[in-house]
Amino acid sequence: MPPVVVAESLTKRFGGVVAVDDLSFELEPGTITGFLGPNGAGKTTTLRMLLGLATPTAGRALVFGQTYAELDHAALRIGAVLEATDFHPGRSGRDHLRMLGQAVGVPDSRADEVLALVELADAGGRRVKGYSLGMRQRLGLATALLGEPDLLVLDEPANGLDPEGVRWLRDFLRAFASQGRTVLVSSHALAEVAQTVDQVLIIRRGRLVVESSLEALTARVGGAVRVRSADSPRLAAALSREQLTSTKSDEHVLLVSGATTERVGEIAFAAGVPVHELVTDGSSLEEIFLELTTEAPS
Amino acid sequence: MIAQLKAELLKVRSTRTTAGLLLGMVALILLFVLLTGLLSSVDSLSMAENERRLFSIGALAGIFGALAGVLLVTSEYRYGTIRPTILFTPRRERVLAAKVIAATLAGIAFGVVAEAIGWALGYAILSGRGISLVLTGGDVVQLVLGSLGGVALWAAMGAGLGTILRNQVGGVITLLAWGFVVNPLLFGLVPSVGRFMPSYAQDSLIGLTTQHLLAPVAGGVVLVGWAVVLAAVGLAVTARRDIA
Repeated sequence: MPPVVVAESLTKRFGGVVAVDDLSFELEPGTITGFLGPNGAGKTTTLRMLLGLATPTAGRALVFGQTYAELDHAALRIGAVLEATDFHPGRSGRDHLRMLGQAVGVPDSRADEVLALVELADAGGRRVKGYSLGMRQRLGLATALLGEPDLLVLDEPANGLDPEGVRWLRDFLRAFASQGRTVLVSSHALAEVAQTVDQVLIIRRGRLVVESSLEALTARVGGAVRVRSADSPRLAAALSREQLTSTKSDEHVLLVSGATTERVGEIAFAAGVPVHELVTDGSSLEEIFLELTTEAPS
Repeated sequence: MIAQLKAELLKVRSTRTTAGLLLGMVALILLFVLLTGLLSSVDSLSMAENERRLFSIGALAGIFGALAGVLLVTSEYRYGTIRPTILFTPRRERVLAAKVIAATLAGIAFGVVAEAIGWALGYAILSGRGISLVLTGGDVVQLVLGSLGGVALWAAMGAGLGTILRNQVGGVITLLAWGFVVNPLLFGLVPSVGRFMPSYAQDSLIGLTTQHLLAPVAGGVVLVGWAVVLAAVGLAVTARRDIA
């Protein structure tokens, strides 16, 4: 299948400042990609070029083989949210969705469908000024879903969400991608999306520094998988039989390097050790992320 | 294009901005008609020119139509809805065209309300004071149609101005300063130039006979010219600019 998104030497200069510098990448259908980098790294500028809101200084960005502006009915194929606050405070959530939907021939009933989908059915008639930040994030997502897109582009969607909201978003994106659809989600914090994404693009100062699957990135981290079990010694022995080294974090917790959560879970299952917690260790991932995105002292 | 227009008309209707402007317009017109109609002497109101002034008060709708046009565009930048708007309609010239047309239609609606209340109250005052209408049928038609055309074009100008400026406060202030300060100053100081300003082009269109005004048809053409130029400049800048 052809890639859903192609960035070719994408470059954007603002005066003398290079915001995005010769950036190239491709996104395959059915994947969730985390687009990561510190604030100011050029993530939003890249997304704006991808979505036709900004013109690249050089290079080009294609979605479904064409630039966004050339694409017929772009909003029916691509759903995007750049800011969680892009609403008129005096307009109801439902009218916001209706007015955008009408521009692309989406019936008003679809507005009610997406409101229900993001669990805002009861609030749809109310003016947005009364919405919490979490509700606005979900209304933004509803906007992106109006056209039943095959590609979702979300800029920092987890900002301002409470833990429950983050989990809801993660489950939602997973379900979306499992239907063969594609997600590009930006974040300034790897840990925020580590449990959601399949692969990561990490940029620093507008340049791509890492393009990798999350698994491969995880493998670069020492003690990547954190497993809390009922019987650490027995699990450690089982892991070592599989050539995996583990270190004891505390009495019940092992840190396993160079392995995936799936693999550790299977080994524990085979060894008959009940597992109480099994996660990719966010803190150590975050360390490598910081290492990759922070200027090395020269 | 029809789809975009429907979307823009829904934007006009779905906030309280439009209703607020309409309310302000109605209040101002009622006040001005009352003051003019009750404070002028019977003799003065019996003259065609002063009657024409009384019934031209509805043309105040122009500035409110222009405000509606400015706000229709600048509120999108103020609240960020321009981003989803352009994402849903990446062809920016379509968005602009839909906004200009929607503003024009809103302007006509403003104008209809303004003319209805202006004439109803003005006529009631005249008959209450025993003054008969001396304006001819032709005068009345020119006043009504000229006002409607004027407010429609003012609204289109507002949408063009808003597209060029993008900033809401800046757009509103520019419009008010332009209409209430620059236009009268220019007309007062250099009438040969000032008569080409929209306010005075509209005066000539509705048949006012102030000295130095253009002929009615020329006034109409000048108003159309202003709307076209502002929309064209808006189109030129909007095609090149990035959306923040």
